[in-house]
Amino acid sequence: MMKTNLLSAVVTLGLALPGTAVLAQDTATEEELLTTPAETPEAEAETAPAEEPAVEAAPAEAEAEAASDEEAAEAPVAEDEAPAEEVTTEDAPAEDATEEATAEEPAAEEDAAEENTADDGQSTAEENAEAEAIVEGDAEGQASTDEPEVGVMEEEDHGAAEDDHAAGDEGDDSHAAPHIENIDFSFDGPFGAYDVNQLQRGLQIYTEVCAACHGLEYVALRTLSDETGPNMPEEQVIEYAKGYDVYDAELDDTRPATPVDHFPGSNLENAPDLSLMAKKRAAFHGPYGLGINQFVKGIGGPEYITALLTGYTGEEKEQAGTVLYENTVFPGGWIAMGPPLSDELVEFADGHENDVQSMAEDVSAFLMWTAEPKLGARKQAGFTGVVLLGLLSVLLYLTNKKLWAPIKKRRKDD
Amino acid sequence: MSGIPHDHYEPNSNGEKWLHRRLPIVGLLYDTLMIPTPKNLNWMWIWGIVLTFCLALQIITGIVLVMHYTPHVDMAFASVEHIMRNVNGGYMIRYLHMNGASLFFIAVYAHIFRGLYYGSYKAPREITWIIGMLIYLLMMATGFMGYVLPWGQMSFWGATVITGLFGAIPFIGEGLQTFLLGGPAVDNATLNRFFSLHYLLPFVIAGLVILHIWAFHTTGNNNPTGVEVRRTTKEDAKKDTLPFWPYFVIKDLFALAVILTVFFAVVGFMPNYLGHPDNYIEANALATPAHIVPEWYFLPFYAILRAFTSEVWVVQIASFVTGGIIDAKFFGVLAMFGAIAVMALVPWLDTSSVRSGRYRPMFKWWFALLVIDFFALMWLGAMPAEEPYATFSLIAAAYWFAYFLVILPLLGVIEKPLAQPETIEADFDAHYAPKAGGTKTLVNPAK
Repeated sequence: MMKTNLLSAVVTLGLALPGTAVLAQDTATEEELLTTPAETPEAEAETAPAEEPAVEAAPAEAEAEAASDEEAAEAPVAEDEAPAEEVTTEDAPAEDATEEATAEEPAAEEDAAEENTADDGQSTAEENAEAEAIVEGDAEGQASTDEPEVGVMEEEDHGAAEDDHAAGDEGDDSHAAPHIENIDFSFDGPFGAYDVNQLQRGLQIYTEVCAACHGLEYVALRTLSDETGPNMPEEQVIEYAKGYDVYDAELDDTRPATPVDHFPGSNLENAPDLSLMAKKRAAFHGPYGLGINQFVKGIGGPEYITALLTGYTGEEKEQAGTVLYENTVFPGGWIAMGPPLSDELVEFADGHENDVQSMAEDVSAFLMWTAEPKLGARKQAGFTGVVLLGLLSVLLYLTNKKLWAPIKKRRKDD
Repeated sequence: MSGIPHDHYEPNSNGEKWLHRRLPIVGLLYDTLMIPTPKNLNWMWIWGIVLTFCLALQIITGIVLVMHYTPHVDMAFASVEHIMRNVNGGYMIRYLHMNGASLFFIAVYAHIFRGLYYGSYKAPREITWIIGMLIYLLMMATGFMGYVLPWGQMSFWGATVITGLFGAIPFIGEGLQTFLLGGPAVDNATLNRFFSLHYLLPFVIAGLVILHIWAFHTTGNNNPTGVEVRRTTKEDAKKDTLPFWPYFVIKDLFALAVILTVFFAVVGFMPNYLGHPDNYIEANALATPAHIVPEWYFLPFYAILRAFTSEVWVVQIASFVTGGIIDAKFFGVLAMFGAIAVMALVPWLDTSSVRSGRYRPMFKWWFALLVIDFFALMWLGAMPAEEPYATFSLIAAAYWFAYFLVILPLLGVIEKPLAQPETIEADFDAHYAPKAGGTKTLVNPAK
């Protein structure tokens, strides 16, 4: 069960001392780790061995050449080529300096893994595409991938640049960066905090829709009862956890999860883990441009996710056996994920609005929480720190003034 | 200490005398704390205490982080998330450490530019300056290696690019790079040695900081006029100076408190402001980020590194003269380290006998341009390596070198300095003259 070693290691890490975790980790060889995405047992048996971040990033990278590149979607293939191509297209002289290094190192380092990935990758790419469709169709009980037009929301105003625009901040491509609209989330700004109801709705959407393919491997289920998080009652968390199966090293088998376990990782190897998605896709990020807006508008990660979920144009194309969907926000313009949301896809117990936009916002808020669960405590600590230090500054100012007054006054009295 | 005449520690009680005869540590502390300090120091003289605070903050938060961090390529990223999610207050400790590095560099750049403007590097303070430059170099090394530890995408690719610089050195480069990395590429061996060195170097820095303080306590502080404290008699010295405690300690603490207020606002409300989102993606040797951008504090020198492409005639000449040994890559590396080297050599490049830029009418403008140049380079370093940024980078890099290698040596000869005040006391009194009516405007360092 080498696949589950990583998962158990991650779980161990969450619970045990780093030392213990290292021991657990040592049992897995590098090769195994490279070829094992964390996954739940119920996942398709043939999910291909490949590292999810690579695959996730592959279309984004290839995008520079993607216009005519028929293999952009063929994740494992694109991945193989990526390092070499990247460096050559990367025109910076600095990168020149390391050209050989970067070009040869993946080859040197990942030899074994690469062979596996490449071999399997070819044959499984199509299966994956199918698998994705099946999983989505089955698990959601909604044929969302079959009816892309249902979940489509045209985002037409993306050309209208505004000052909080992310253009160039991320510097991520040769395309003009898509315009990401700011959304007034409850957790933005110095005094922002998560909206518990929104997080719970987001969790429901995640569970019913996203979790079919994606994972949250860094998030412990017990944190669902955090007061500054979804604030679910503990019994409810225990019940919720039972819905997931996790691998237990002691049993050498799977068992229903308990609150001490983490969410499972992604089911599909090209569905990235969502734990940190809101932080790694920070649309307003950075001090360049007018990134100072971050102070009141947040980092823009949830806004990116919302924009992506509502950014489908309805166009699709088939590339090397994979269906790609046009998305105005996704780098490169084409994404392998079908429009996941459609109006009234999820029914909320309290009858809250469930159109695509509001669901996208809810799940984005939830993913911000998974990325930054301590946001509430952090802002509180920041506020306390600022108040106390501000007070200290005032006191020191007065002390300093009084201390120096005789030295300066002596002159004035002359 | 030795230079400016002042009262030394006198043990009073028998116990104090007993200790003083055996270990004069109280005397050492007393003299260090009571050092006569020019009383006209302005608000640009507060960065030293900010830097000391930063070093302590980084060491303390760093030691706590190490208790929860795992330096292994498969575990590092997850262990940082463990710190962020499961360790009590871990998110705050990590964000303090992460942003503490930025505060450290903001402070060190302010400190360096203050020294450059007021001529703090000039005789007899060359050693202080050189030690300071060594500290700055070690800070950069430490900051770079620390950035690798979370094992995100920028960690990995930043490490690949920067260690690749050493690979550009002719003949020995490749071997050197392998030696640094502990293998052919950035991998577990690299992470482990960077972790080890990242823990070690701050203590080396702490040692150098003691030398730095010792050196300037020997020569006495510089001050905004650049005029030396009178050392003829204790009375004269007292007219020019005030003891460090309490006058400057309180003043510096006030400044520190203000800076920390802003710092905590950043840590509390936008802790990822100065980081790169890609570093929340776990390192992946197979996926190169579209843009590899170093941390902001390296950007000016990164811009210089990239400015010298093979199209630049200087590079072509260098390549021709050396028969191709110095190619564009290596030239860029030389330029980057050279940019720091010329700064370190400034005590001998500046030929003017006047210390403070306040009394140097031409220097002022060139210096202002240097500051603008520095920020321009920082901006250019973050831009993609394409036109028009490449040309701007080249111009900005050229000015950086011209300032130190041409302008400073020439200015000393052609510039006619203004009259300097006779004494520090005179400067202070002029500033707080009776008719000033208590306006507290101290000298504006930007002028």
